[in-house]
Amino acid sequence: MLSISNLHAAYGKVEVLHGISLEVPKGKVVTLIGSNGAGKTTTMRAISGMIKPVSGTVMLGGKDITGLDSHRISRAGLAHSPEGRRVFSTMSVNDNLMLGAFPRLTGSRPKGDVNADLEKAMELFPRLKERRTQLAGTLSGGEQQMLAMARAVMLNPDVILLDEPSMGLAPILVDEVFRIIRNLKERGVTMLLVEQFAAAALNVADHGYVLENGRIAVSGPAEKLRDDPAVKAAYLGG
Amino acid sequence: MEILLQLLFSGIALGMIYAVIAFGYQLTFATSGTLNFGQGEALMLGALVGLSLVSTIHGGPYLNFWLMIPVVMVFGALQGAVVEWIGVRPAIKAKSEFGWIMSTIALAIIFKNVAENIWGKDDLTFPSPVSATPFHVFGANVQLMQVLVVIGAIAMMLAVELFNRKSIYGKAVVATSNDPDAAGLMGINTGMVITFSYALSSATAAFAGVLVAPLTLTGATMGTSLGLKAFAVAIIGGLTSGMGAVVGGLILGISETLTGFYVSTGYKEVPGLVLLLLVLAIKPAGLFGKAAIKKV
Repeated sequence: MLSISNLHAAYGKVEVLHGISLEVPKGKVVTLIGSNGAGKTTTMRAISGMIKPVSGTVMLGGKDITGLDSHRISRAGLAHSPEGRRVFSTMSVNDNLMLGAFPRLTGSRPKGDVNADLEKAMELFPRLKERRTQLAGTLSGGEQQMLAMARAVMLNPDVILLDEPSMGLAPILVDEVFRIIRNLKERGVTMLLVEQFAAAALNVADHGYVLENGRIAVSGPAEKLRDDPAVKAAYLGG
Repeated sequence: MEILLQLLFSGIALGMIYAVIAFGYQLTFATSGTLNFGQGEALMLGALVGLSLVSTIHGGPYLNFWLMIPVVMVFGALQGAVVEWIGVRPAIKAKSEFGWIMSTIALAIIFKNVAENIWGKDDLTFPSPVSATPFHVFGANVQLMQVLVVIGAIAMMLAVELFNRKSIYGKAVVATSNDPDAAGLMGINTGMVITFSYALSSATAAFAGVLVAPLTLTGATMGTSLGLKAFAVAIIGGLTSGMGAVVGGLILGISETLTGFYVSTGYKEVPGLVLLLLVLAIKPAGLFGKAAIKKV
């Protein structure tokens, strides 16, 4: 579904990604783990068009989306729940969710039943239900994270990128975030997940990639990575 | 007492014109963090194009006043889009922090020169669409056109507010002002939103131009001081608050007419501008503005 090959990306003259290749098959959850500064978020940004890759290709369902503007990539069917949540703080929860469906509401993606999907999102993220009319800026960090994820789901995308969904959350909320990811997976949603909680991420994922200094160091089926001594030592706390 | 009331009425009409122009400044600031310093010239062009359509100066009249308004607004929108396209977009692309200031001022001067060549340097009279004979409210003289200015200004701002709140495209505009990167991830073409905000802002100014023209003299220089004072209003009220634009506009408009009568017309602009200096010193975000903390 999402296929990245030999992706290079840079901030100014400093190259951060030195040729990343990875595959996210349809219906699977793939996780990208690695320490701070390894290039996880940069990879996500280069995929979704927030930054332009220097070279390499990004294919979405057979379509080349490399270097397109982010709004075109979104319309092509890739949703990105970015690091730091980035909800629209002066707008209501409902409006944030409707904006998630913007390409559907404006004719650049099949419309489907947006209102029904809104209700489904409320079921999936019950914390948002009682806060529908509240401004997103007044939500707690956990609720904002739920909103950012729900907003991505509202696109009805082919692939969702989730960048550090558990960042800065209390342990009970981290559990809820992973419960939701699992739930989405059961519904057949294709996801690329960047996480600091490598163990939890490898538990929910089918496949994993370990990023070190802008290169893929190890990759393989998630259960294999969980038992890999080197991965264990570096990312799973022994 | 009647005189005071009369001054208040004139001040309110003038203040609402300032408010509409200030509102236009806010529209582009919200989406792009940039301002069109040619806002006054957009007003002037709107008034003069309107004049050509409703008067005999260019072989007309072609339209009556009311039908002319939408035509002038379309013209204003195109003019604003051109400003964004030539003056602002390159600066945003180059991440130039100040480039747009010079380029919008340069375009404003060019527009003024063009207007001087087409419509001449002398002020012209704009035919009033309604009876200019004043009627009395509590003994004070009020012109119907002044009432129309107030109604038109409020209607314009409410229409934009309604669009922003109710339509998905309006929500896309608000989302872009919130966080352009995140808006892009939602599939919103933020470049288009910025162009749109410039078009809307200049259309608003052109609308203000044809509203104010029947009450004042119309000519190539009419916009400069209106644009500048409306900028002061936008700063006094806060660049992020529609309410601030209205209150700021009324403060400046009323203080001008009062000072003009009770002190001296030579000093009429002083109190409002002193207020501007005070606001900048004490509450730089404006009376109604939220503190603008620059994100890095």
